[in-house]
Amino acid sequence: MSASVLHSEVAVSDEKQAAAKSAGRRFGALVVRLGAIAAFAAIMAYFVVFAPGFTSTFNLINVVEQSAILGVLAYGMTSVIIGGGSDVTEGGIDLSIAANMGLCAAVYATLLSMGYGDFLSVLAAIAVGMAVGALNALAVVGLGILPLLATLAVLNVAAGMELTLTQNTVVGASSPLLGVLVSGSFLGISALAWALIVFSAIMIVVVHGTSFGLRLYSVGGHPESARAAGISVPFYVSFTYVLSGFCAAVASILTVSRLSASTPGSGELLLSVLAAALLGTVFSRRFVPTMGGTLLSVLFIGLLANGFQLLNVSSYWVNGVQGALILLVVAITSFARGSEGSR
Amino acid sequence: MTRYMKGLVKALALGLAAACSLAAISGATAEELSLKGKRIGVSAIGTDHYWDLMAFKGIQDRVKELGGEVIALDAGRKDQQQIAQLQTLIAQKPDAIIEQLGNLEVLNPWLQKIRDAGIPLFTVDTATPHAINNTTSNNYNIGAEIALQMVADMGGKGNVLVFNGFYSVPVCKIRYDQLKYVLTSFPDVKIVEPELRDVIPNTVQSAYSNVTDMLTKSPEKGSIGAVWACWDVPQIGATQAVEAAGRNEVKTYGIDGSPEVIKMVMDPKSSAGAVAAQQPYEIGKTSVDNAAKYLAGQKVPPFTFVPSVLINKENAAEKGKPFLDAAEKAGVK
Repeated sequence: MSASVLHSEVAVSDEKQAAAKSAGRRFGALVVRLGAIAAFAAIMAYFVVFAPGFTSTFNLINVVEQSAILGVLAYGMTSVIIGGGSDVTEGGIDLSIAANMGLCAAVYATLLSMGYGDFLSVLAAIAVGMAVGALNALAVVGLGILPLLATLAVLNVAAGMELTLTQNTVVGASSPLLGVLVSGSFLGISALAWALIVFSAIMIVVVHGTSFGLRLYSVGGHPESARAAGISVPFYVSFTYVLSGFCAAVASILTVSRLSASTPGSGELLLSVLAAALLGTVFSRRFVPTMGGTLLSVLFIGLLANGFQLLNVSSYWVNGVQGALILLVVAITSFARGSEGSR
Repeated sequence: MTRYMKGLVKALALGLAAACSLAAISGATAEELSLKGKRIGVSAIGTDHYWDLMAFKGIQDRVKELGGEVIALDAGRKDQQQIAQLQTLIAQKPDAIIEQLGNLEVLNPWLQKIRDAGIPLFTVDTATPHAINNTTSNNYNIGAEIALQMVADMGGKGNVLVFNGFYSVPVCKIRYDQLKYVLTSFPDVKIVEPELRDVIPNTVQSAYSNVTDMLTKSPEKGSIGAVWACWDVPQIGATQAVEAAGRNEVKTYGIDGSPEVIKMVMDPKSSAGAVAAQQPYEIGKTSVDNAAKYLAGQKVPPFTFVPSVLINKENAAEKGKPFLDAAEKAGVK
């Protein structure tokens, strides 16, 4: 009897301790999150004051233009993380997205150089991008493979197909659509910058302004309750991978316009895409990825490289700072995750 | 044939001597050059190879020596990054931009934008109509010299494995075309089809496995006489593969003069037959001198050739050392 009382007392004090610990953690996470945002703000403020020409309209439009490709890719990655849950090891992730973009760019440039028009070539690039996305969906949803491994395998498939198609060479491309993307401008803003603005607006409205987006979050946040509420979890998760493939295709057209060619080495972008999607969570109170947060972090990454160049700081530092920030954000996220209790 | 070769070598030697004395003269006037108060933007596609790093360093050192300020940008072999850097650089309005290597197809529209913005453009090893001056080695010479050395070592007959993955890089195109031109005079020397593809990154590993595969495919000794590449990083992998397969009758040929390869050519037992050694550090410096001259209102020719030296098994001990010393002095491994 007395033993069981003692036992229950211990249990109560354990619970109390756990509650106190979790509150402390939550507070700690808040502090670190605000600290991270403050660090972002401080870096920007430093650039505004010390980097010559940083705030000129021309320079800022340049940065938006430079961020367009990364932005479109990061939206694809963000949608996958929203739909698959943001657990870094078991949640949604699309490692194939940058390689997929390389493959789509190769298809687009090759078809253009073979004399097919814009309409057919764009259609083919988008079809290829979405097909690769569908392959990811099949592997993750259909076969139940961990997204991390499934998309890693698909990364290799896409990269291999790109190499087969281009033989690792530069495929030059020009077309009326590319001409518009390169030199077109409206209201003093270049076509590439418009592409990011319009794409961002669509993504933000769809994910944060519709019931579809709300269901997407519920699927990623709590698949069991989403299923209980009658939402088709497999459909939503598959959709995010196909959407990610679509984003890769759109980004591929922007890439070909910017480089006047499809070039090997698109896979290099993966780290920046992941960085953008992960850094974005810092702008959300619950550490979940949001489209707005992703946009902010994409612009932040662009401004970081730009500001360093204007300050004449070696570009080697950009990678270092970017890496440090990712580490910080991942640390905060796991910190915050710990406070959600034992799962 | 030997008489023809001797004549050619003599002509080349004379040409080299003339080039050296020219370089000496331009060196004398360079003393009065100055870049005080000038900002020079430098954009390189990457610095992961010896040549690239030496040239990039040569440019920066010389700008500082002349009292100028450098904005040095290394794109880490990412086209996207190089374009972004150039775009920001144009907005920074430097007094001149020096661009070093990269994909011409990707770069040309942006080099045009540099000129449209009224910024004088100079290039290193990159032939483009948009540059005021391109400073480089005489790749026509280099291509012919290394091809002739190879043909001579092969005794005028045999099969050659050729790496041709970078025909889109202008200097590689010239060297490859020169190889083909030389071979029109030697019909018994044949290029094995399909040609091999050198890649970046993993150049050495990939060349190693390519050459190993080809040697396995042609197992009889003497069925392959030589391996050719338009630069010398694939040559490293090729040489290692030949030696590992015990096929010492195969010799390797390349261009650039990385210290590692020069040491291989100097080693009598190594299968590295010859390398055309360039002076990337000098090339970088010279491009800055050209920019300084232009900014001082002097006339600048559309291209400047910095001398290179063919290092083969016979002259390696004597000709190789200065290049190794230069590499050590610049502190680049």
